[in-house]
Amino acid sequence: MKKVSCFLAILTVGLLIGTAALAQEEYMPGVSRNELIIIENPDGRATDPDNFNIWAPGSPSWSRGLQQISMDTLWYIDPDEGIEGDPWLNSLAEEPPIYNEDYTEMTVKLRQGIYWSDGVEFTADDVIFTVETLRAHPEMNWGPQFEIYVDEVYKTDDYTVVFKLKEPNSRMHSTFTVRWSGCYIMPKHVFENAEDPVSFKFNPPISLGPYVSESYDPAGYWNLWKRRDDWERTTLGKLYGEPGPKYVLYVGLSQERRILDQMKHELDIIHDLSPEAAISLIEKNPYAITWFEQFPWAHPDPTLIAILLNNEKYPYNIPEVRWALTLSLDVTEIALASYNGAATLSSIAVPPTGNHLTWYFEPLQSWLKDFSINVGGEEFHPYDDTIPFQLAERAKNQFGYDVPTDEDKIKQSLGYGWWKYAPDVAAKLLESQGFTKDSSGRWLLPDGEPWQIRIICEAEGRPIMTRGATKIAEQWKKFGIDAEIQGVSTAILWPNYLTPGNYDVAYAWNIETWGGHPDLSFFLRTWHSNFYRKSGDASAGSNYIRYQSEELDKIIENLLKIDFFDYEKTIALGQDFLKLMVEDMPEIPVMSYNVFTICDEYYWTGYPTSDNPYTNPVPNWANSKYMFPKLKPTGK
Amino acid sequence: MVSGKVVGYVIGRIFQCLVVIFISTTVVFIIPRMATDMSPIESAISRAMAQGQYTDPRAVEQLRNTLEVAYGLEGTVFDQYIKFWGNILRGDLGPSFSSFPTPVMDLIRNSLPWTVGLLLVTTVLSWVIGNILGGIVGCNRNKRWAKGLEVTINALRPIPYYIMALLLLIVFSYILPLFPSGGAYPIGTVPRRDWSFFADVLKHAFLPGLSLLLVGIGGWFQGMRTLVSHIMGEDYVVYAKLANLNKKDVFSNYIMRNAMLPQITGLALQLGMIFSGTLITEIVFNYPGLGLLSYNAILRSDYNLIMGVTILSIVAVSFGTLIIDLIYPLLDPRIAY
Repeated sequence: MKKVSCFLAILTVGLLIGTAALAQEEYMPGVSRNELIIIENPDGRATDPDNFNIWAPGSPSWSRGLQQISMDTLWYIDPDEGIEGDPWLNSLAEEPPIYNEDYTEMTVKLRQGIYWSDGVEFTADDVIFTVETLRAHPEMNWGPQFEIYVDEVYKTDDYTVVFKLKEPNSRMHSTFTVRWSGCYIMPKHVFENAEDPVSFKFNPPISLGPYVSESYDPAGYWNLWKRRDDWERTTLGKLYGEPGPKYVLYVGLSQERRILDQMKHELDIIHDLSPEAAISLIEKNPYAITWFEQFPWAHPDPTLIAILLNNEKYPYNIPEVRWALTLSLDVTEIALASYNGAATLSSIAVPPTGNHLTWYFEPLQSWLKDFSINVGGEEFHPYDDTIPFQLAERAKNQFGYDVPTDEDKIKQSLGYGWWKYAPDVAAKLLESQGFTKDSSGRWLLPDGEPWQIRIICEAEGRPIMTRGATKIAEQWKKFGIDAEIQGVSTAILWPNYLTPGNYDVAYAWNIETWGGHPDLSFFLRTWHSNFYRKSGDASAGSNYIRYQSEELDKIIENLLKIDFFDYEKTIALGQDFLKLMVEDMPEIPVMSYNVFTICDEYYWTGYPTSDNPYTNPVPNWANSKYMFPKLKPTGK
Repeated sequence: MVSGKVVGYVIGRIFQCLVVIFISTTVVFIIPRMATDMSPIESAISRAMAQGQYTDPRAVEQLRNTLEVAYGLEGTVFDQYIKFWGNILRGDLGPSFSSFPTPVMDLIRNSLPWTVGLLLVTTVLSWVIGNILGGIVGCNRNKRWAKGLEVTINALRPIPYYIMALLLLIVFSYILPLFPSGGAYPIGTVPRRDWSFFADVLKHAFLPGLSLLLVGIGGWFQGMRTLVSHIMGEDYVVYAKLANLNKKDVFSNYIMRNAMLPQITGLALQLGMIFSGTLITEIVFNYPGLGLLSYNAILRSDYNLIMGVTILSIVAVSFGTLIIDLIYPLLDPRIAY
């Protein structure tokens, strides 16, 4: 009897343990946790979750896995090194675009043996159909681009597409090249049966990527994707091998939930966190993996945070005033306030990320050190390459962080240098323009009116921007300018303030680069004076600062004349642009937009880091798909 | 036999209700169009530009013109207004601009059941519990247990809702993993009509419901306690007590019945407000509902969606007060039409 009782007790305990173990392994019915990766979708809840038509004008949430692992297009440019060491990635195209001599024709050779998830082969017909459908519906995404550029698109065989262009365009391919996203290819065999491609829901989405939609939340919070059985018939599988996770779950969560869930290892990749939340999580979760192993941890996006000055508005139309504003700032204070010091500084008008360090930052160092401005008849050298080291020291003293000591690591992670904090020089520059100070030390405009600055910045959407702008206002106040911030919603900052030029000074960004390619025409094309729009009219592209110069026009024209793959000439022209921006200082570059993406190595390993920068870890970028073949289960 | 006076009152009151709905809807139509900060077209272009791609300035200009037509925003505001009423009388609130061309009604239909389900239950429950507790404490205000209960409820009441919700989430989902940490049902399942799904929905609604209940009870409790304390001193209550009437009868028929009237009006208004959703609950608990839908609609200058959700609230509040007005004589014999 005693033996039986003992046996039953052991059996019960065993069953309980076994059940508990099984319960832990199975995340949802039929899906084991060790074959599932859970990724945050920063878009949160999709308002129209049934709609997967990414080409429709109001297509909801691209970042729920739709653009990352279901869509595909001709080319990708990785903002970091690229999965095989080259940021240029031929995806559905087998090779880079082939242009004729005057750039009025682009030929694309397509990869063979690629199939849609329903078994239909991908061919030139899909590309042609995509272009023609979008061109016929200019209200759809990318539609107006094709209507303006493409005269005719046809195939010469099933794997060769020719674009006849309406005008010379050496950058036609950029519409089909993913930075964050790009024009994805439509399945002809699906959309040709749709009554109206605009209102067609494309549900379930037929994939060209390695995953297919398994299920989704009708309330819009999550999407579950399953690896295709024929993953080797997709570009990712064919070129780089089997994607690690069998299932991928994208889920929208509040900041608190993200932290709590990752602490429980129920969220593998967090898109972004506030610096404090991120640092706290890194300290508490031994499995946390960040871009830099130590301070400043975050991934520098190819997006440049800057103080935008409306060059049309007085007194910001005066270069001396713009330089005075620059030299009255202690950038380390701004970095400490915005990011607890975990900021990658930039003194020039490109973000300090990826290969930009080699193409632009390193080669311009000697020029920057020699550069001087004339202050009261004397030459002043404003550049200071010790500032990142000062920042590291201050972050160490103020927050106790373990900061890097190696010079190269500091340059790579905190930047190469910035402008000196020289309020005395700034004062001389202002005085040279007729500015005076009143008895209480406040700056007066030349007409005797007090100088007031209102800095427009994002409010609730991006606290790092509010904090940075507040510190800038504080420093200008200390310098004697009556400065304050006006925080506005992210949704209205661009359409209501920056685009129509409805501001004097703003703290935001207008320079976004490929990151993995030196061609600055990506954002610069719209800065040509042909597209110049005065304040009051919507700006063309990102020239919110209303800056124009003949020299800039020449740089842009020359950039567009050269081949996209002529790196040497592209870099030379890019450097000319950067020098011009330093001399004129039409906006004050500050730092890259650093993203605290935190990956959890409890279930999966192989995430990209600065030591192995094969792709961008930020999971809402479409090029984050290159992460999947590298992810391996840890065996837990 | 219903008198002609009553019929006249009812017709007049219904007409008044329709006028309120008409005027409020007109105001809702005009306000976003007057706001200089809101432009659905610029908002859509801004979202398109934020996709981090190069867009030719001419393409942007063309998109601007195309979207004006697609969104039905061409013509004067008056033209749009006439068209709007034409559509609304056909039950069509138009397409959502931010989820174009999905109809606004589809988006509302997706979120409405969750909001109504959660808020209807918690509003009614907090009203019932708050009023009963407030009435009991008001009648026994000098007793120690009543004071203790009052202090407890008043201590919970000022806690900011966000903190309360987060606290419940951390305690009951992470420290003591008794309830799910978010969503309306488990990840990986889709809504279906069976008991196990219903049980899942209840389990997921427990924490958001509890958070709303805890903050909701305080207001009703305090209102009822004050009313009861006041009524306790009325002559008819003092007389009833002196006449040695049954204590339960005095409590329910003399005190509570009189104290209920303003609370019922409050409930009607509160029930109308449930159609606005509860934004913070939805954010903290990842709960689907109208709150986040409205919030995103405002951020994206989605006029049609803003109007859709607001009109729902206007109609609900208007009809709620209409119904209360019409049934008031049943609740209070002193009122007659």
